[in-house]
Amino acid sequence: MMIKNALVMMAGFWSAMLWTVTACAFSVGLVTDVGVIDDKSFNQSVWEGVQAAGLNLKAKTKYIETRDAKDYSSNISLFAKNGYDVIVTVGFGLGEATRNAAAKYPEIKFIGVDQFQVSAMKNIAGLIFHEDQAGFQAGTLAALVTKSNIIASVFATDMIPPIVAFKNGFEKGARYINKDIRIISSYHPGGLDVAFTDPEWGASTARQAILQGADVIFGAGGLTGNGALVETASHKGRYCIGVDADQWLTVHSARPCLVSCALKKITPAVSGLVVMAFENRFPAGNYYGEVGLSSFHEFDKDIPEDIRKKLSVIEKELKEGRIRITE
Amino acid sequence: MTRLASILQSLMIPVLAVLLSFIIGGGLIYLSGADPFLALNGLFMGAFGDLDAFSRTLEKATPLVFNGLALTLAFKAGLFNIGVQGQFLFGAIISAAVGCYVSGLPVPVHMAVAVFSGIVAGAVYGMIQGALKAYRGAHEVITGIMLNYVAINITDYWTKGPFMDTANSNSIPRTPLILESCQIPDIWGIPSGFLIAVLVSVVLWLFLKKTVTGFEIKTMGQGIHAARYAGIKINGMMIFIMGLSGGLAGIGGAVETMGVTHRFQPGFNLGLGFEGITIALLSRIHPVGVLPAALLLGGMKAGAGMMQFSSDIPTEIIDMMMAMILLFVAADKLMTRVLPVLKKKEKGLALSAGWGSK
Repeated sequence: MMIKNALVMMAGFWSAMLWTVTACAFSVGLVTDVGVIDDKSFNQSVWEGVQAAGLNLKAKTKYIETRDAKDYSSNISLFAKNGYDVIVTVGFGLGEATRNAAAKYPEIKFIGVDQFQVSAMKNIAGLIFHEDQAGFQAGTLAALVTKSNIIASVFATDMIPPIVAFKNGFEKGARYINKDIRIISSYHPGGLDVAFTDPEWGASTARQAILQGADVIFGAGGLTGNGALVETASHKGRYCIGVDADQWLTVHSARPCLVSCALKKITPAVSGLVVMAFENRFPAGNYYGEVGLSSFHEFDKDIPEDIRKKLSVIEKELKEGRIRITE
Repeated sequence: MTRLASILQSLMIPVLAVLLSFIIGGGLIYLSGADPFLALNGLFMGAFGDLDAFSRTLEKATPLVFNGLALTLAFKAGLFNIGVQGQFLFGAIISAAVGCYVSGLPVPVHMAVAVFSGIVAGAVYGMIQGALKAYRGAHEVITGIMLNYVAINITDYWTKGPFMDTANSNSIPRTPLILESCQIPDIWGIPSGFLIAVLVSVVLWLFLKKTVTGFEIKTMGQGIHAARYAGIKINGMMIFIMGLSGGLAGIGGAVETMGVTHRFQPGFNLGLGFEGITIALLSRIHPVGVLPAALLLGGMKAGAGMMQFSSDIPTEIIDMMMAMILLFVAADKLMTRVLPVLKKKEKGLALSAGWGSK
């Protein structure tokens, strides 16, 4: 009897809690891919965007970190069932679960980060980026600052299209500057379970490339890429280029080599989309966020004016479509 | 000691281990600035709060039951089958292949064929470990760990290559959805895979208790030299037991594919094999004890999302609590030292035979 009473009380308490949540005005939920919210890159940038919009709109924000790829749908529906207005899902892997949820909850708006929409649904915005353009700019920078004419790149996996696009762009960009440049590119050989979380592999791959004479290393792919950056930092006179977010702010131990980062400007794009959802001018289908290079931070004085000029011309030409990157 | 008292006695350590890890977990939640009762309430509601939640708990528990049984069986014979993860993966992918590429069979036949091929896949993979131990003296823990990597990489390759889903210009490495004739349905919202798991655990219990082979397995677990002296053909038995153990993990993989995921995708089944170790130890190496142990861990996994939703506690706390449960049940000597009440009454568990023994 006591147990039953306790259960009833708990249930009552629970529904009261839910009620206070749903009674709040505007609410935004975020579901991560398998990974943590403070990953110093992807999830974190999205969450900062959600928080920025939340502050702006006085909205309630909350996140759930997915622990098991089988839980995408149930985590999304936790928010949906509790009456959230906007649900942000982070990562290519959640694409299908997001589309299913969008069909089931037509009144909720979904923002799918890195989720290309083959066909538009009116309550999903797929936030995507021209990673090949970001990679292209990183590649031109690498080719412009290298002295040995050997550059390297360390990528998480060829199973995720955005990473493949980074690689393609990086190589095309480097060759755009110097046709004969030598590029040592490596993908992590493991599955999706380890590809983004293997800093040791990233470090040893970067070390091998440096031993072969590479003096600029581009590291792209979660902790694996970060491992390559941090390793490069321990070799004097080498440059490294980060990815996604401005990693000068997040990966402190990479600062001695971090010349720039190939940015996907995730945070402003996400907060912009949330605001658009709030103001009822939600863009359905694919929505392209901006890409570019971060500032040079500690190497600001080492980058001469002519390189800067070249980079900004290339950025402009990419935006206007005058440079086209083939697959 | 009466029978009931001895059952209660053997429940002491697991129950205390779980309580202790929840108390420590609650303490950690409190230290991180959240309300532990709110968090645990969220965990409970997410696991058992309504039919939907309960059904997810059963879904999460089902593969844990099979992997727990696979380890339990091996432990009974003094073998530590750490290769369960790999056997599970092979069971899952082979049944997925049968599920999507074999067509035209009537529903029950298709299902039976898919489950059976999962069993065979897991069993064959387990027998490799058994044979290596029987004929070359290679320790099954070492070969198991290595064969797990082999399995992960082969299944990754298959899902990127021959078995890859190419419909709708899909680029995620995964197999196509299995045909409907091969999907294990839910019965009144209850995943029927769990019913199969219950059935298998009872059958395994009776097998170990009532049959001659079961007796031989337990004799091997008591002492391999005595077992050999008693006329048990050790080499053949090792291969047979590892095959059976792998087959149990293989059914787990098949049921998971056919009942829950409906396709094979790398990353879906990771960690399940190792959680099987926790389950087997928590059950005190008892086939029926595996069921409540799996329900507990399954519930913790199912409720993690709700816990984070209701209290903003990072879900890693669940991993820590599971790890503590494993620590406390494995280190039962530690428990008896901390709680002297348990002293003398509790027999230590003999798990696998020592290193280098054959």
